[in-house]
Amino acid sequence: MIWITVTLLAFALGVVVQSRLRSPLANPTLIATLVVAALLLLVRVPYATYLRDVGPLQGLLAPAVVALAVPLYRLRALLARQWRALIVGGLSGTLSGVAVDVSLARVLHVSDDAQRSLLTAPATSPVALQLAHFTGAPPVLAATLAVLSGLLGALILPPFLSALGVRSPLARGLAIGAVAHGVGTARAREEGELTGAASSIGMGLAALLVTLVVAGLSRG
Amino acid sequence: MTDRVRATASVTARLPAPAHFVLGLGILLGFAVLGQALVTTLHLPLPGSVTGMALLWAALGARVFRLHWIADAADGLLGILGLLFVPATVGFLGYLSAGAAWGWWLLIMTAGLLFGAGVAGLLASRLEREDT
Repeated sequence: MIWITVTLLAFALGVVVQSRLRSPLANPTLIATLVVAALLLLVRVPYATYLRDVGPLQGLLAPAVVALAVPLYRLRALLARQWRALIVGGLSGTLSGVAVDVSLARVLHVSDDAQRSLLTAPATSPVALQLAHFTGAPPVLAATLAVLSGLLGALILPPFLSALGVRSPLARGLAIGAVAHGVGTARAREEGELTGAASSIGMGLAALLVTLVVAGLSRG
Repeated sequence: MTDRVRATASVTARLPAPAHFVLGLGILLGFAVLGQALVTTLHLPLPGSVTGMALLWAALGARVFRLHWIADAADGLLGILGLLFVPATVGFLGYLSAGAAWGWWLLIMTAGLLFGAGVAGLLASRLEREDT
């Protein structure tokens, strides 16, 4: 249980730092990740041991993702009116992200394992984990790159979208969820309930689309 | 049938806050289990939790489940969503030996994220209907 304690305290520290610094890099998930990783390396505890210890905490992730249905339901009228923007925008965004990941990985000659793992990075990590069986990627690497891609997105996408002039909460949320799934959605919720709900829709569509792309590739 | 649902709703509306929270957490866990069971039996390559989210959304829409049964638990869990990903993000420790390859991986992911989110954001704001 010691590592659950460490994880909770590191996250609380991250929230405090975020409220003081107001910088996009001061993200509680990033800060907690770095603090926990540094401590694990310092006391030489392997990741597998850590993961076993924090099992109960991770057990709350599935019901938390289910809970995303609540903001979706609260905003159902607004979301139903914007279904075209959500579906067309979300699917095109995820598809563009996958295309760039795949082609750039090929051009830059990264290892086969990494190429196959990057293909599923725009989908949430449980999807990446399950699809690894079809893409031939090492499952742990696929899931790790997916969740890190989400974290990276949570850090860089909000300022990037502002620079592009994307101001509507719906479009911002959708764009974040379409490529940065769960961690991105946690970040999008900080901007407001509509941004968070649009991000959950982007995340759900991305899970479907990446699954279909992989199914198509492994059949063809 | 609707009378019974209404009677249940009035009972649950008077529950004290801790009971509300426990009821909500139980329902959310139930949908997570249901979603997982569905993808396992039907061999769907989807995460059980995202399937459970869609099922709960449908159940709320069909008025089979009431929002106030789960609202407290849902808002509580979503408030710490970023915390629940930490066990997974720490997983990069298992690939520290990849060394310099991380530079390329992060570069590729950054390019994919910026391009994908740019396309989604610009398209969605163009397609968004103004009549709100």
